Amino acid sequence: MAEYLLVIVSAVFVNNVVFARFLGICPYLGVSKKIDTALGMGFAVTFVMTLATAITYVLYYGVLVPFKIEFMQTVMYILVIASLVQLVEIVLKKVSKSLYNALGIYLPLITTNCAILGVALIAIQDKYSLVMSVVFAFFSAIGFVLAIVIFAGIREKLEDADIPGPFKNVPIGLISAAILSLAFMGFSGLVK
Amino acid sequence: MRPIIILTIVGLISASLLAFVDDITREPIAQAKALMERRAIEEVFPFPLDSLRTITAGETSFFEARDTEGKLKGIAVKSSTEKGYSGKIEIILAVEPDHTIIDYKVIYTNETPGLGDKISKPKFREQFKGKTLEGPIWKVHKDGGFVDELTAATISSRAITDAVHRGLEHINQQYPNTAAQ
Amino acid sequence: MNEAINTLTRGFIKENPVTKMLLGLCPVLAVTTTAVNGLGMGLATTFVLIGSNVVISMTSKMIPDTVRIPSFVLIIATFVTIVDMLIKAFSPELNQSLGIFIPLIVVNCMILGRAEAFASRSGVWYSLLDGIGMGIGFTLALLALASIREVLGSGTIFNMPLIGEDGTPLLVFALPPGAFAGLGAIIALMNALEKKRGVN
Repeated sequence: MAEYLLVIVSAVFVNNVVFARFLGICPYLGVSKKIDTALGMGFAVTFVMTLATAITYVLYYGVLVPFKIEFMQTVMYILVIASLVQLVEIVLKKVSKSLYNALGIYLPLITTNCAILGVALIAIQDKYSLVMSVVFAFFSAIGFVLAIVIFAGIREKLEDADIPGPFKNVPIGLISAAILSLAFMGFSGLVK
Repeated sequence: MRPIIILTIVGLISASLLAFVDDITREPIAQAKALMERRAIEEVFPFPLDSLRTITAGETSFFEARDTEGKLKGIAVKSSTEKGYSGKIEIILAVEPDHTIIDYKVIYTNETPGLGDKISKPKFREQFKGKTLEGPIWKVHKDGGFVDELTAATISSRAITDAVHRGLEHINQQYPNTAAQ
Repeated sequence: MNEAINTLTRGFIKENPVTKMLLGLCPVLAVTTTAVNGLGMGLATTFVLIGSNVVISMTSKMIPDTVRIPSFVLIIATFVTIVDMLIKAFSPELNQSLGIFIPLIVVNCMILGRAEAFASRSGVWYSLLDGIGMGIGFTLALLALASIREVLGSGTIFNMPLIGEDGTPLLVFALPPGAFAGLGAIIALMNALEKKRGVN
């Protein structure tokens, strides 16, 4: 149990995907202007990340390793993620129109969200078990949601701030991110 | 139907191309790995390696350095720990035939540059020299041991202490007799 | 001829993929702790970009629209895997420090972006120039940020020490906050320069 807790705290706070691992920066800067769009993107990412990590894990140990074709890892993973995103889009459209309307526009963006592929690769690299990989993926996604929601809150405030011309938009966003990641470093003593 | 056929063809071309590149790079990749290991062992022993024998017991690899007459001059072991700040740290630990530490070399680490990677610096390594498994307390100063932890890198210091300690235990298991000589 | 030169050079500064178009920022932030890493990552990405641009410009007419994106991704992933294996074989040290960011080149939005916006609708020759130019621009941005972070954060440049043994570098630049702040400053500087040039 303690082992799971350690992975959870590490994934959400200490090794936060955005602030410590630098994954998913594009959506982090792109769709974090409003808190509710950030939440929508966050849920879509959580869903796809957890599912993608579980599927790629099974495929890696069930197909790639036995057939000794580990070199197909990157190719296969990105295909799984791309098809998964497409599948989620189709299912969502049929099952829940309202959820589709809420998440739909974020789904295509997820394919090139490097956090998804990154987390799936880290799960293999760190030799987690299947259950641990799923837990790791889910809580990494929660860490991502936490990062973009906090950041969206800051950005809503920045809208009203008087920022020097060259620093408007992205530069000030990056500098806010620097301060946020400095704050997240305070968690670093939590897990050894 | 046509799109699927085209996508399949693209996939097949990709797979066969990668299989081909995998085939020609497999040997160089294995060699590069072995060379890096060999270089680390050469660096960690203070004397030239006349003969080096690799012994694999279970998951652990031991390297015996002998002189031209076949006399044992030192033993190295590959040891690792998962307790680093950013996960795994791998070291090569070298000891005298009587199991006192000569030195270690970090061969894999993801520790933060400028902070955690100070575990590779001579100043930090110095304090392990001449130590043995029995006697000192294998912990950092903060936890009541003999290792002076690095400022702002306690976790990395703990991790190295753990890796060195494990290495010594492996050597003690594999070579119980030499300690008594 | 002018158009060819423009295709090649616009990626350097004017349409720099990092500072201007803000593409592929993850590797830019993650691997720029040292100049060597930044350069290595830049060159690896450039190789993939040139390869995918050329192959996609040659094949895009044969690929139906419905499977366009999956096919492009497959082509890119193939080049990424080739680079991954080559780096493992010929520069294991670089492989160690770049880690999972080598396979992650596949989701670098700059590469798919160039495939979609340029290579799929241009000739081979121009796609090659575009790949080289954008690749150089990407590498320049990485090298700039990496040099700043290495000098300030570790007190070295290309692993050569600039300060004495007892000097203390500004560690924060080697850590994640330094990456974000450094890139923010570089982009702001580029914005300011552009504005000044525009006024004159």
